[in-house]
Amino acid sequence: MRLWWRRMRVMTAKELLQLSRDPVLLIIIAWFFTADIYIAGSGISMDLRHASLAVLDQDRSEASRELVRRFRAPYFHFQGGLDSPREGIARLDAGESMLVMEIPPRFERDLQAGWPTEVQLQVDTTNTVLGTLATAYAARIVARFGEERALRALGIDRAQLAAMPRIVDRHRVWYNPNQIDPWFMSISELMTVITMLALMLPAAAAVREKERGTIEQLAVSPLTPFQILFPKVIAMALAILLGTAVALFLILLPVFHVPVKGSLALFFVVTALYTLAVSGLGLFIATISRNLGQVSMLVIVVLLPMLLLSGAWTPPEAMPSALRHAMVLSPLYWYIDLGYGILLKGAGLIVLWDSVLGLAALGILIFLFGIWRFRRQFG
Amino acid sequence: MSLLRVRGFGKRYRRVVAVDGVDLEVSRGEIFGLIGPDGAGKSSLMKAVSGVLRFERGAIEVFGVSLDSEASAERIKDRIGFMPQGLGLNLYPDLSVEENIDFLASLRLVPPARLAERKRRLLAMTRLAPFRGRAMKHLSGGMKQKLGLVCTLIHEPELVILDEPTTGVDPLSRRDFWTILTELLRDRAITALVSTAYLDEASRFHRLALMHQGRVLDRGEPDAIVARSGGSLVRFRAADQRAALARLRGRFPQIEARGRLLRVFVPERDPERARARVAAALEGLSVDALEADEPELEDAFIALLARRGDAGVKEEAPRIPSFAPVADDEAVMIEARELCRDFGDFRAVDHVSFRVRRGEIFGLLGANGAGKTTVIKMLTGILPPSAGGGRIAGIEMGGGGSPALAIRQRIGYMSQAFSLYQDLSAIENIRLYAGIHGLHGPALRERAAWVLALAGLRGFENARAGRLPMGLRQRLALGCALVHRPRVLFLDEPTSGVDPLGRRRFWEILLDLSRRQGVTILITTHYMSEAEHCDHLALMHAGRLVADKTPDALREELRREAGRLLELRVDRPLAALERLQGRYEGVSLHGPRIHLFAPSLEAAGVDIRARLESAGLKLISLREREPGMEDVFVYRMRALEREARA
Repeated sequence: MRLWWRRMRVMTAKELLQLSRDPVLLIIIAWFFTADIYIAGSGISMDLRHASLAVLDQDRSEASRELVRRFRAPYFHFQGGLDSPREGIARLDAGESMLVMEIPPRFERDLQAGWPTEVQLQVDTTNTVLGTLATAYAARIVARFGEERALRALGIDRAQLAAMPRIVDRHRVWYNPNQIDPWFMSISELMTVITMLALMLPAAAAVREKERGTIEQLAVSPLTPFQILFPKVIAMALAILLGTAVALFLILLPVFHVPVKGSLALFFVVTALYTLAVSGLGLFIATISRNLGQVSMLVIVVLLPMLLLSGAWTPPEAMPSALRHAMVLSPLYWYIDLGYGILLKGAGLIVLWDSVLGLAALGILIFLFGIWRFRRQFG
Repeated sequence: MSLLRVRGFGKRYRRVVAVDGVDLEVSRGEIFGLIGPDGAGKSSLMKAVSGVLRFERGAIEVFGVSLDSEASAERIKDRIGFMPQGLGLNLYPDLSVEENIDFLASLRLVPPARLAERKRRLLAMTRLAPFRGRAMKHLSGGMKQKLGLVCTLIHEPELVILDEPTTGVDPLSRRDFWTILTELLRDRAITALVSTAYLDEASRFHRLALMHQGRVLDRGEPDAIVARSGGSLVRFRAADQRAALARLRGRFPQIEARGRLLRVFVPERDPERARARVAAALEGLSVDALEADEPELEDAFIALLARRGDAGVKEEAPRIPSFAPVADDEAVMIEARELCRDFGDFRAVDHVSFRVRRGEIFGLLGANGAGKTTVIKMLTGILPPSAGGGRIAGIEMGGGGSPALAIRQRIGYMSQAFSLYQDLSAIENIRLYAGIHGLHGPALRERAAWVLALAGLRGFENARAGRLPMGLRQRLALGCALVHRPRVLFLDEPTSGVDPLGRRRFWEILLDLSRRQGVTILITTHYMSEAEHCDHLALMHAGRLVADKTPDALREELRREAGRLLELRVDRPLAALERLQGRYEGVSLHGPRIHLFAPSLEAAGVDIRARLESAGLKLISLREREPGMEDVFVYRMRALEREARA
């Protein structure tokens, strides 16, 4: 038994030593855990920003100018007036404007006369998220403007308004009250990076032994396949946990001010568990690849569906039912649930035990599969 | 007239100088050789000559065109053919033989009518015609190399540049290869620049350059280089080899045991006097068949290194520390019984059986793809056999679980690639393998010191394994395989790419391990000269074992079946070759000499002289040679091919 542990220790030390001697790999790991997460956190935003707006104002009145002024920066960027409807279409086609608003003649006169009037909004929704947001914002601005005008026309003031039978929407936004995108994006990117490296690093370490021929040397030594493979996973998991710590304490906390509501220790335990599960997949990839190039391609093949099925980009409920069932097989699905739960919601084991169990079960299953494939390859 | 001229050529890769100050001249119509171990700079030079590698120092002129720009390199590319190192690297594995040829011909814009004629001729010459439709990846190593040659020749270049065309190819295909080259030389007047790591191929060249570590040690005709070494070779057999070795060590610069034969290089041009000096040194010992002769190129190479003051040469014979493998009373240490292994439909190993007694060196010879490595992998437990079984160090194979682990604790294994971790230092590699075998504390330190002493690695402990010279790396790998005192050692082509000096030191260690310390060794090699060291030799061909005897018995058998090996020198060897082919067995050209088999020197001498004289050719010399293992191997393979055809 002591011999068993000694062998594990010797092999793990060897993996760490090899990793520390590979400057390219070290730079890649450092990049992903710092710069890459910083770029994702600060660069990618789901907010509407600087949506370009062109206006065909056929009224040129005080009211029309007032309406246009309400499309404010930083959400909108007013590009100026248009001379004809055709010009508006051309700008949309060319991608120069995202919104084109047309205000009809007699806009102000109709409002003052108490007659209904309308404005037309044409929105480019090629990017569905931004298009939907722009449409919703614009609709709200126009509605608000119309409401105020209507109230003013009726001569109703604020005090009277409060007395009217109206439903007031009072929503609370939990866990990320200011809806700060960098919180969501940086955590999501961290998880993606962990996934990718957990797939890639052990697979690369295993396939490199194949390429160099050292795997045979290990295969004739008194090591079991588990003793050959598991130290790689331990060493790479250590590297990934270290990287995660760097990302948390150098980027997420000081730069993006992500609040850690739950237990960091639990987060690291869960991350370790997750790394183990994904490494199993990586080892499976290593057994069917002949060289590092094939490993990289297969990692992409495995990584993309894992991301798509994880629920990071689409909530599970919105998926078709077949895919929703398949999501259970993506370790990332469990991990995202756990990661956000611990970091942003402050949930503990009492709430998350089912996800931890799911991840553990999946992890052990995948890892055993990886070992089995390896054993089959080397008798 | 010189067709290729190289002046002061130098090439560096970043800070590593690969080649430095090389001067060469190759004349039209000759086969010029570049000989040297891996890392001598042969490939860099050949690539530069082919116009595919930029270089920073010196000048190269091909067909009178100076290769100083991309444009001038393009101008000569039509007239040269270049075959890079590595089996079939200029070919496409998924295309058939014919598709490969057609594709490369179309790249070279060969007109279809000419292509058809050339293809027919070259395929016939290489005996590849029956395999036209076969995908390149399904060809044997030798066939791939021949196809590579066909594709290199399809546009009829005036100069062919072949980078290690015979490495890893079986001796028979190697002979074929030289025959083809000889015919092309005769019929098409081509010029060839050929590199090789086998020093015993030197006799195939008209002139050669002996390269080592990026420099040319010597250049000229093979005989002249050997003569310049200024020595003779004395061979003998001693009843007590170890006593004889002890007498000679220190008195003579190079002593080598090749099986039962001892070879001594004496710095004395006159063979008779050299013989007398060795005889005097051996006074009182029982010595047999003491002969003196001119040395081989390998001896000359080492002598040249010594003269340059190369540190490695002066070094005393390695003091091999005692090893004390765990004792047991098993007599047969390796036993294979009807081993078979299939890969899909392909039977890689076909009913192979043999036994190796304790303390013996057992050599497994054969071409790439003959099944040697598969046999070793099955015996070491890396690969499960499809059928059959065996016993290793007293434990039955295939027991799985704990018997398999027990076997692994008793064997050492060194694979072709010297399985070291290149990014770990020498001592880290040793500690790793020791740790895997459960060594720690004082036991680990003691074993690590032992490996360092064995490999002669003192002072290199902290050097990365990947940066060690080949010879040291090889001995480090051997040390790592021995770290747990195994009783049986499996070595899979442990000497490929290592320089002659490194190979000799390696063999001294192996001989000591087996003779003095009782380690049983199974080794595969494609250096036929190394086969002489083995107590037992087995030839493998297409997955089957075709002979299993001592080297002397194999030689005796060859003498009985094929006759004596004769070597003759003629004034016009190419014309003489034509006269003698068909009349005698195994007629082949070795540079200016011809080898053939005949029942006896006396009877054949009269006939050969008559035949040559009738054609107006002059016989310069005729003598009998002791056949090498390569001759044995080639003869055997030819016989097998004939059998298969009949």
